[in-house]
This record gives sequence, structure tokens and C-alpha cells, in this order.
Amino acid sequence: MKNQLEQMREQYQNTQIPAELDHVVQKTLQAGVRKNRQRRSQWQWFSATAAIIVLLTIAVNTSPTIANALAEVPLLKNVVRVLTFRDFTVHEGTFNADIQVPQISGLENKELEEQLNSQYLEENRRLYEEFIEDMEKLKAAGGGHLGFNSGYVVKTDNEQILVIGRYYVNTVGSSSTTFKYDTIDKVNQVLITLPSLFKDDSYVERISTNIKEQMLQQVKEDSMKTYFLDYFTAITPDQNFYLNSDGKIVISFNKYEVAPGYMGVVEFVIQTELISDLLVSAEYVR
Amino acid sequence: MKKRDVEAIITEEILQHKERYYRLAYSYVKNVDDALDIVQEAIYKAITSRGSLKEPTYVKTWFYRIVVNTAVDFLRKHQKIALVDEQSLALNACGSEDIYHNIDLERALASLTPHEQSIILLRYFEDLKLQEVASVLDENLSTVKSRLYAALKKLHNAMEE
Repeated sequence: MKNQLEQMREQYQNTQIPAELDHVVQKTLQAGVRKNRQRRSQWQWFSATAAIIVLLTIAVNTSPTIANALAEVPLLKNVVRVLTFRDFTVHEGTFNADIQVPQISGLENKELEEQLNSQYLEENRRLYEEFIEDMEKLKAAGGGHLGFNSGYVVKTDNEQILVIGRYYVNTVGSSSTTFKYDTIDKVNQVLITLPSLFKDDSYVERISTNIKEQMLQQVKEDSMKTYFLDYFTAITPDQNFYLNSDGKIVISFNKYEVAPGYMGVVEFVIQTELISDLLVSAEYVR
Repeated sequence: MKKRDVEAIITEEILQHKERYYRLAYSYVKNVDDALDIVQEAIYKAITSRGSLKEPTYVKTWFYRIVVNTAVDFLRKHQKIALVDEQSLALNACGSEDIYHNIDLERALASLTPHEQSIILLRYFEDLKLQEVASVLDENLSTVKSRLYAALKKLHNAMEE
């Protein structure tokens, strides 16, 4: 027995070492080290950003002077108001999703703030779950490509108005983009809806007519532009819109809604004099 | 100890004894490609989870453990049954004793569970101390001892037949 184990051991020691071993070991060591560096730098970036946000939040909340001073800095003003609350990400081969959820802070009307923030979070969570579901279906069917990207832009931020535009980009071969805007009155702490700006619903027709005119005008001036002129009849009463920094109403249509895909997301600025007689007040729209 | 230093210690150990770890992997799967896969996976695991190496002086037993676990995992995932037809069975059976001794032992070894194999391999072929075998397999010394004796007895019986 002893002797046999000895023989076996010898045979074991003589196991042939393949020539590739060196290469495999080197390559794998490098890959592992690279992975560690990546993780480390991500972590460093994350903690540095987190530290800055914590500092900013403390500073803004404890010192009105700092808050005011920061609000003077154009870039920081936005940081103070809208922060990315959380990210959902998926990176699996041909499946990519990057979802950023905005969070509003600093509104005195906590109910409104809470309502908007939970709406943003809920909406994004639902989209994330849908993405995962689609991904699993595609995987089960043998694979495919799927991309989803969401985030937000601060369109307007002045003394009175804050406009947050959330965008959702879906990529399956071609891409579709959806924009959703929220216009917030920071002074009165309310969410502004399109109907709330007008005395009655006659604005729908007035604005629709103007948009059709603008479409015709644009097509005439630029042969590269196309709209579904026959198809578009009117805006919806709660059409996606926002107030720009000049205090003008901007009507927004998602990709494919009123124009072919290459036109992307299209917007129409409505000149205030055209609708001034229909407005409740001249407070927001100028 | 800094993470980068731990990384260096692991890298050094692997580079220096790569043949040893390859042989160990090979003895489980008996196939060059699978053995290389196991080595690759074990190295990647080791480097990226370097935090689990609490005491750098134990790098050897720590990495042995990773290789053994990876190999045993691999076997579990690719449970293979070696089917032998009657002809080759007969051919092997009437071979001369001296030449086929090793094959008998190899068969006997294959009749052990992967866990028992690990003990035999580490103790007799890799010359680890029993205490080291115990720490590789994450068991206490007396358990390893009794399992070693059981495995040896099983081997012995298999050889007698």
C-alpha cells in the first residue's frame, strides 16, 4: 500500500504541464488586478462625491448665507435643488440599462416634494422592472439587444420656476425617446399644470392652431423637416409642456408623436401675445 | 497591510507554484482544458477576493483551498460517469500486473469521494502537514485524521479486490 501510494505520487509529480499554463496564469492575474483597480477607483469616486453631497447638504441646511451664496453659482444652484437620488443599472453583455432617478429637495411644501419624489422613484422602479422582464424574455428566446437609459435635465431654474425634464430612451434596434416635464412654482410651492394656467379649455384649440402654423412654416423654410401634418389634429388638454426661462410656454412632443423618428423630440414655443387673453394671470407666462 | 501588498503576495505565490496548483487541479478532472479552466477561475477568485486572506503567511493553504473548492465545484457541475464497455474492461482486466498497478490505484482513488481524494492528494502528493490539510479543507484536525484513515482503508480494500 505504502509503496503503491509512492508510485502514484511519482506519477502525480510527473503530470505533464501544458505550455499554455504560463500564459493563462499571467493573463488571469492581470485581469484580476485590473478588476480590483476598477472597483477601487469607482469606490473612490463614489465616496468623494458622497462626501461633497453630504457637506453641501449640511452647509445649505445649516447656513442661509452659504445657501444663498451657492444659489448664486449657476451650476451649484441646480445641485442644491435636484440631486440624483438613486441609480438602477444593468450591464450584461448586450443588455444595458442606466436609470437615474431625480430627487427634489428644499421645497417647503413637503407634501408636494414627497409626492413628486415618490412618483419619480415609483416610475423608474417600474421601468427598471419592465426592463428586467423584457431582458429575461429575450434571453429565454435566445438573446438580443436591449438598452434603456433614463435621467433628467433641469430645463429652467430661476427665482420662481423650476422645470425638471425626465427622459426615457428605449433602444431596441432603433430608439424611442420620451420626455416628461414637471413645472414647479418655487415661490408658491405648487406644481403648475397646463390647464391651471388658463381660464377655460379654449387654449387647446388656440395652441393647436398655432402649432400647425409653425409646422407648416418650418417645413416651408427647411426641406429637411417633416411633420405628420395630416395626422396631428390637436394637443391634449394636459399636453407635455414646460415654462422656459423667458416665461414662455413650450409644448413638447415625444419622438414619433407628431413627426418621423429622425426629427426626435420636437418642441414648439408659444408666443405669449397669442394666448394672453386666455391666461388666468400674467404671473407665470410672460 | 495594504490591499495592494496582499495582491502582490498572492501574485508571487501563484507565479512561483503555478505548476503545483495545475497538477492539483488536473488530478481532479484528468483533462488539460478543464484543469486550465479551474486554475484560471481560482486565480481570478483569489485576486478579486483578496480581502478574505486574513493572514498573508497562510497564502499557500488559502490558495490551495480556493483551487480545491473550485475543482470540487467543477466536478459537481459536470458530474461525469465514465462508462466502460465490456471489451475494454476485459482488455484491462487481463493486463500484466506490473504495468497496470498504477491504473488500479488510480481507479481506487477515483472510487473515493472528491472530499476523500482531496485529503489523500494534499497529504501524500502535495506533502502538506495534517494541520495544513485541515485548514485547507476548513475542518478540525481530528475530523481530517479520521477521514484520512477511512479513505486509506477504502483504498486498501479496493486494491485487494
